[in-house]
Amino acid sequence: MPKNKNDILQGTLALLVLKAIAAQGRMHGYAITAHIQRVSADLLRVEEGSLYPALHRMAQDGWLRAEWGTTEKNRQARFYTITAAGRKQLALEEESWTRLRDGVQRVLRYA
Amino acid sequence: MSWFARIRNVIRPNGLSDDLDRELSFHIAERIDDLVAHGMTPDAARREARRQFGNYGLQKEYTRERDVFRWLETLLGDLRYALRTLRASPAFALVAILSLALGIGANTAIFSLINAVMLKSLPVSHPEELMVVVRDSSKTATNPIWEYVRDHQDVFSGTFAYSPTQFNLASRGQVRNVYANWVSGAYFSTLGVRAVLGRTLLPADDVRGCPAVAAISSSFWQTEYGGSDAVIGRTVALDGHQFQIVGVIDPAFFGLDVGAHAQIYTPLCAQTIMNGDDKWIDARSTWYLHIVGRPKPGITPAQASARLQMLMPGLVEATLPPNWPPDAAARYQNARMEVASVATGFSDLRTTYRKALFVLMTVVGIVLLIACANVANLLLARATKRQHEIAVRLALGARPARLIRQLLTESVLLALMGAAIGVVFAIWGSHLLLHLMSTSGDAVALDLSLDLPVLAFTAGVAVATGVLFGLAPAWRAARVAPHNAMKSQARGVADGHSRFSVGKALVVAQIALSLLLVAGAVLLLGSWRRLATVDPGFKRDHVLLLAADMRSGNENASPEQRSSLRRQLLDRLRAVPGVRMASASELTPISGAGWNNDIKADGYAPASRDDGLVWMNEVSDGYFSTMGTALITGRDFNTSDVPGSAKVAIVNEALARKVFDTRSPIGQHIQVANGKDYGPPIEIVGVVGNAKYESMRETPQPIAYISMAQDTDPGLSVKVEIRTVGPTTAIIPSIKSAVAEVAPRASLDFTTLDRQVAESLRLPRTLATLAGFFGVLALLLATIGLYGIMSYTVARRRNEIGVRIALGARQSRVVRMVMGEVGLIVGLGVGIGILLTLGLTRLVSVFLYGVAPSDPTTMVLSAVMLAGVAFAAAMLPAWRAAGLDPVTALREN
Repeated sequence: MPKNKNDILQGTLALLVLKAIAAQGRMHGYAITAHIQRVSADLLRVEEGSLYPALHRMAQDGWLRAEWGTTEKNRQARFYTITAAGRKQLALEEESWTRLRDGVQRVLRYA
Repeated sequence: MSWFARIRNVIRPNGLSDDLDRELSFHIAERIDDLVAHGMTPDAARREARRQFGNYGLQKEYTRERDVFRWLETLLGDLRYALRTLRASPAFALVAILSLALGIGANTAIFSLINAVMLKSLPVSHPEELMVVVRDSSKTATNPIWEYVRDHQDVFSGTFAYSPTQFNLASRGQVRNVYANWVSGAYFSTLGVRAVLGRTLLPADDVRGCPAVAAISSSFWQTEYGGSDAVIGRTVALDGHQFQIVGVIDPAFFGLDVGAHAQIYTPLCAQTIMNGDDKWIDARSTWYLHIVGRPKPGITPAQASARLQMLMPGLVEATLPPNWPPDAAARYQNARMEVASVATGFSDLRTTYRKALFVLMTVVGIVLLIACANVANLLLARATKRQHEIAVRLALGARPARLIRQLLTESVLLALMGAAIGVVFAIWGSHLLLHLMSTSGDAVALDLSLDLPVLAFTAGVAVATGVLFGLAPAWRAARVAPHNAMKSQARGVADGHSRFSVGKALVVAQIALSLLLVAGAVLLLGSWRRLATVDPGFKRDHVLLLAADMRSGNENASPEQRSSLRRQLLDRLRAVPGVRMASASELTPISGAGWNNDIKADGYAPASRDDGLVWMNEVSDGYFSTMGTALITGRDFNTSDVPGSAKVAIVNEALARKVFDTRSPIGQHIQVANGKDYGPPIEIVGVVGNAKYESMRETPQPIAYISMAQDTDPGLSVKVEIRTVGPTTAIIPSIKSAVAEVAPRASLDFTTLDRQVAESLRLPRTLATLAGFFGVLALLLATIGLYGIMSYTVARRRNEIGVRIALGARQSRVVRMVMGEVGLIVGLGVGIGILLTLGLTRLVSVFLYGVAPSDPTTMVLSAVMLAGVAFAAAMLPAWRAAGLDPVTALREN
C-alpha cells in the first residue's frame, strides 16, 4: 500500500491524542479525529484503524479514563478524559517530540 | 479500564463486543452525518464512511485484542471452530487421535513406572528429611554397627534400623512367603506412621529377650483377617513361630522398599526367637540393616556426615569383625561415614530397571515422534485442501499470526484428545508392564495411581506434541500467497509440486527412526532368544526343584541326626515312582543366590585377591547326573565320602583350566579361605563340564563343588533336585507325602529348573517383548505415513499422470515413476536410519547377548524388512496411478 502523505508518524499518535484531550477536556473518538484534522489544517489525518486500538491501550495503561455518555445529538458515545498519569505521559511525549524534531531539523540543515 | 471490567469482559464476552460495536458504530454514524452535511446522499455517505473506516470486523478485532484477557475469548472461539472442523472430517480426526493416543499412552505408561520406581516420595511425614547412613559407599550395616550408632550419635532427632525380609506363613507343607520388615524400636515414631488399630511397635518392644510381637499392614489385615477388630492379641505363625499381633498400620504406608510392600513388621530382637540364638544380633559381618535417621532441625546433611565420621574410631573398635584379613580390616577402619537422602525409599528395582526404563522411555519417545510426523502429514495434506479457505481469509486481512494460532489450537486440541485416550491406554499398559516384570513367586507391587507428576507429564507431552506437529503445517498454511492459492482452484492449472516437500522429509525421518527401533528390537529379541536357548551346562527340562525346610520339630537334632535326616529324605525321594534321579545341594543354579570364596592351590598364584574367588556349592552324590552335567574325568561323590574320610571336591573345567592350566587336576588339592586363614586341603576327585551358576549371561565361571555328605555341621534347609520321568509338576503330591514321612512338619517350596531359568530372564524378556511391540508399532506408523504421502502425491498429480498416460506412457512406466520417488524416500530414510542406529544402539549394549550393537546382519535384516514393508505399502498408490483413466482424470478438472 503506498504511503499516504498525511499518515501520522509512528509513535506520535499517542502524543496527538493526549494533547487533544488535554486541551479539550472530554472527547469521544470521532471528535478526536475531527479535532486533529481541523487543528492541523488537514495536514494530519488520524486513521480510525489506529485510533481505537490506541485509545484502548491508553485506557488500559491508565492515561485515559473512558465512560459512556450522550452527545448533543443524543447519541451514545464513549468519552475519554485524561488522567494525572496521562498528563505526565503527555509531558514526556512532548519533550521527546521536541528533541526528535530539533534533531531531524539539524540533520536536514547541516548534513 | 478497571480490573473488574476486564474480568467481566472475559466472563461475558458479548459485553465487550457490545461496547466496541457501539463505539465503532457511533464513529461511523458521526462520519455519515458529516458526509451528508457536505452534500452526499445518505446511501453514498454510508458506503463512503465504511470504506474510510476499512475492514470493520478486523478493526474490531485489533481493538479488542488490546485486552489482556482477550486471548481467552479467542481461545474459546478457536476451540469451538476446531471442534467443528474435526467433526467435519471424522476419519481424519480418528486416525490422528488414535495414533497420538498410542504414542502418548506409551509415554505415560513408562513414565508412571519411572515415577513409581524412582521419583515418588515415601508416604511418610516429611520424607525429604530422611537420611540413610552410608558407610564405605554401602547402605547396609551390621547390628553391632547399628547399636553403636544408635547409642552414640547426636545428629538425628529420631533414628532406626530395619531390614527387609520374607516370612513363611505356613507352619508346614507348601511355603507361603510374605514380605516383612525387621524393625528397631523407633521405626514408626521416626517415620511418623500411625496404627489404625491397636498400636505400632515401640522402643519397649525392641530389647534383647523381647517377646514375639508383630504389627501387620492394613492390606494383610483385610486379606487374612477380613478387617476384624478382634485381630489384636491373636497370633500369626511366622516361619513356624507364633507372634502376637499388637496393631494394624496405616493403609497408606507400605514400608521403605519400593516394589516389595511389607505386610508384617517384627522387632529386630525377635530374630533371636526365629534363629534360636543371637547369631545375627551379634554378628559383626552379617550386613543386612539399613540405618535411617531424621536429622535434628538445623543440621545439614554435610554436618550430619561430619559428625557421624567422628564416631568412626569408637565404632571400629566396637564392631570390627575379629577374623578379617588385614587389607579388609584396614578398609573397614578407613571407611567414610556419611548420610544420603532416602526420600524415595529403597529399591532393588531401581538398580535393576534404571537402564531398562531409560531405554524404554527413549523408545516410546521415538514412537511418539513417529506418530507426530504422521499427524503433521495429515494436517499438511488437510491444510492444502483448506488452502482456498485460508487464502480467502488472508485476502480479507487476517494476520498470519492469528491464523497460525488458530491452526495450533486445532492441533493442540487433537493432542489433548489423544492424551485423554492415551491415559486409558497407559493405565492398562502400566499394569501389563508390571505383570511382565513380575514372576509367580515374586509379584512386584507398585503404586501406579495417576498422581500429579504423571498427569502433568502427560499434559506437558500432549501440548508439546500438539505444537510440534502443528507448527510446520500451520506455518506453511499461513504463508501462502493469497492470489496463488486462489488461482490454483481455477480450472486447468497444474499443481506445481516441489520435488521434496516438508511432508516427504517427515516420512524420511519416520523411516529413519523406525529403522532404529526395528534394529533395536531385532538385537534385543535375538539376545533374548540366544539367552533362552544357550546351553547352560545342565538339562533344564524335567527337573523339579524343592526347597525343603526340615528345622521345625528337629530343633535339637545333633549334626549326625541332621546328616542322617538329609540322607533319609534323599533315599525316600529316590524311591518315589516317577522319580528318575534325585540329589541335594546347598544352592541351585540361576536362583539369585550365590556363594563364593577364595581358594589356593599348589602352583597357583591368583593375580589378586578377587582373582582367586571361585563360586562354591555343596552337593550330594548324583547331583551332576540329575542336573545333566557331564562328568568329564574322575568320579562323582559316593557313599565312601563320609565326615571322617579325606575331604574331596569336584571342580568344573573352567576352574581346572584356570588353576591347574594343562596339569590334570585329579589328585591335586585346593584350600578354601576361612576368614584370615585357609581350611584343610581338599582333594579333587573329579572334573565336570561348565555350567551356568549365577546368570545365563555369564561366561564359564570357575566352580568348586564340595561334598555334602562330608559336612560336619549340616543344615536342615536343603535344596533337592528331582529328575522326573513324566511331567514335572504332576509328581508334586507324591513328593509331598514322601517328605511328610521323613519330616512331618517340613515347609516345602516347589519350582522347576526350567521356570527358575525363565524367571531369571524376565528383564531381557520384558525388554525384548516391548522393543518388539514398539518396533512393529513404529514400522506400522511409518508405513501409514509413507502410504499417506504417496496417495496424496498421486492424487495431486492426477492431472499430470493423466496427461502422461494419454500421451502414451505405459503403466509400467507410471509405476516406475511413482516407485522411483518411493525409492528415494526409503533410501534416504534407511541411510539416515543406519547412521542413527550405529550411533544409538550402543545404549542397549548391556542388554545384548552374543551380538554386537553394530551387528551388520541385524542392520541389513532390519533395512530389508523395512524397505520391503515400505514398498509393499507404496505399491497401492502406484497401481492406482497406473490404472488411472486419462479421460476421467482430465475431465475432472
